Amino acid sequence: MRKLQKLVVRWETFLVLVIVLEFVVFGTLSPKFLNLKRLFSGLNQFIPVCIISLFVTYVMITGGIDIQAGSIVGLTSIMVGVLWNDAGLNIFVASIVALIAGALCGTLSGFFVAYTGVQPMVVTLGGSFLYSGLALAVTNLSAKEAYQGISDFPEAFRALSKTELFGVVPMQFVIFIALVVIGYVLLHRTNYGRKIFLCGVNPNAAEFCGINTRAVIMSTYTLSGLSAAIAGILLTAYLGTAKADMGAGYTLPIVTAVVLGGTSNLGGSGGIVGSALAALAVGLLRIGLSLNGLSTQYLDIPVGILLVVTVSFRFAGTNPKLRKLFSRKKRQTVISRAG
Amino acid sequence: MLKKLLHSREITAFAFIVLMFWGVGMINPAFLSATNIWLCFNSSVVFTVVAIGIALVIITGEIDVSVGATLGMTATISGTMIRDGQPWHMAIIAALVVGLLIGSVNGFGVTVLKIPSIIMTLGVNGIVRGLIYVYTNGKWVENISFDFKSLSQGRLFDAITYFYLGALVLMLLVHLFLTRTKRGKYFAAVGDNIGGATLLGIPVDITKFKAFALCGILAAVGGVLYVSRVGFVTPIAGNGYEMKVIAACVLGGISLSGGVGSVIGASVGAAIMASISRVLVFVGLSSDYDNTITGILLIIIVVSDSLIRRRAVEKARRERLAAKTLHAITDGKGATHSA
Repeated sequence: MRKLQKLVVRWETFLVLVIVLEFVVFGTLSPKFLNLKRLFSGLNQFIPVCIISLFVTYVMITGGIDIQAGSIVGLTSIMVGVLWNDAGLNIFVASIVALIAGALCGTLSGFFVAYTGVQPMVVTLGGSFLYSGLALAVTNLSAKEAYQGISDFPEAFRALSKTELFGVVPMQFVIFIALVVIGYVLLHRTNYGRKIFLCGVNPNAAEFCGINTRAVIMSTYTLSGLSAAIAGILLTAYLGTAKADMGAGYTLPIVTAVVLGGTSNLGGSGGIVGSALAALAVGLLRIGLSLNGLSTQYLDIPVGILLVVTVSFRFAGTNPKLRKLFSRKKRQTVISRAG
Repeated sequence: MLKKLLHSREITAFAFIVLMFWGVGMINPAFLSATNIWLCFNSSVVFTVVAIGIALVIITGEIDVSVGATLGMTATISGTMIRDGQPWHMAIIAALVVGLLIGSVNGFGVTVLKIPSIIMTLGVNGIVRGLIYVYTNGKWVENISFDFKSLSQGRLFDAITYFYLGALVLMLLVHLFLTRTKRGKYFAAVGDNIGGATLLGIPVDITKFKAFALCGILAAVGGVLYVSRVGFVTPIAGNGYEMKVIAACVLGGISLSGGVGSVIGASVGAAIMASISRVLVFVGLSSDYDNTITGILLIIIVVSDSLIRRRAVEKARRERLAAKTLHAITDGKGATHSA
């Protein structure tokens, strides 16, 4: 019974309820929403954000923040294109090179965060400039015009996103689920995961426990860079074009997903399942609203409101004045009832 | 006085800009003409005004990533009103009110609802960006009257534009406010040590709210200047400005952890940010490398600053330790008492 109670009050349960609610509301508003094929094809656009938010969770648990992931998406996308189109590499070799590059970008920022003590926000801000600039520089190496992007990728590469499991579930979604499992096991079931949490709760204590906090913190940025690279490659395969400015504007949905998923931006608490569910909830919200005729440019409004409202619920409790206000009201109602 | 000047943090940024101009002048002497240098500074006017606003917020230890959207929104509103033949002062007042409103929403979220500022302003950024599309239907605001556009061309002594002169006066006023008045000094006190400020009876929340409100107003001023300078407003006007002005503040020696830095530094940083793309042209590089250079600069300056300061702290600690041991040797028991 107590176990059941614990399950009910969990944040993740609330997120599942939100997703169910979305299915009910949007399903009744437009039956198209319940068409699995349509739903998945809408979700495909959003899968990169879901994947990145999984590993940005790691960064935020250590108390950092990562606002460079979007520009790494663009960098890896254009790298795949240029390596394949202009350097003549095999498309999969190009993808692996891009993966390594993404991980290196993450590691570089992580190194500065962990070993120099500069705030993560500043370093990843610099990183976002640097990597989006590098993406433009890579574009200039190509013979093709920048605004066109590089397209006509081989079928084997496009199959990464076109293949559908059982005829409905797209490969991207399968990869996302696999990454959720990997991320969950790594964060919640291994020593390494425990270390990440400890680094977020109290880095000094972690250091005294013999944990190499700096290496652990750096590694979280590596993972988030790697996930951004995976997202960039999947997005390239899905859209069929490689462009340098892909992933611009991902910061809002990524941070929304992670914070909505219950991860504290001060570090020390959070979880993968929450982030995954929250990312899906945000994605479904966008699909549902756009199916009901809301233009995609407006979609930032509901996402922003969702972020502000949910977070205000969580943090308003920490304001003693507000708490007093509400408790007084309650007391007054009790008194008035008694009277 | 001179020693104090040399130790101030703005001097690094100022030395850097002098060095950068001199270096580029060595490569291409055409750069060092008076017209060109004035052009560099004059073109930084929007950055400067917005950077002064965000500096106020950063000095109190918070952050505001919604200034880009605020600038876009206010530029759209004032641009539309001027295009439709409304009097200029009405357009400017409308822009300032909207800026104040957005800033107040941010301030309310951060001080009353206790939402972490990065999350609150990121959410507001998304919402306001969406609202711009709602307001304009995604159309450009064009056909701004020539008279209004020519305002930005007015120059004193054929060198400095009235706009930039105004921005410098504004900078001076804000600087005097922050350093010479009681309420102005609260800003740095809150950012430096929030617990101490609370214990001293400084109205922490009100100070933070003021910072956000002023930041919104200054972003609105930036929006009006943007309309006059650029002459048309796209729905994505001001996109990415938030990151550029934060980078300007950091380059100007303002610490993102609050309490350290001045608006003079922010203005110098803004001039650096605005000059980089011009510098690149004169060196013979494509301005595509703008972001790359900005990112590298940001990381190098911040990391070296952090390392220098860490060394200074360690040196001070060692000296203190040495003084303590000396004290202990010379008068035995006295040391244990003082310790």
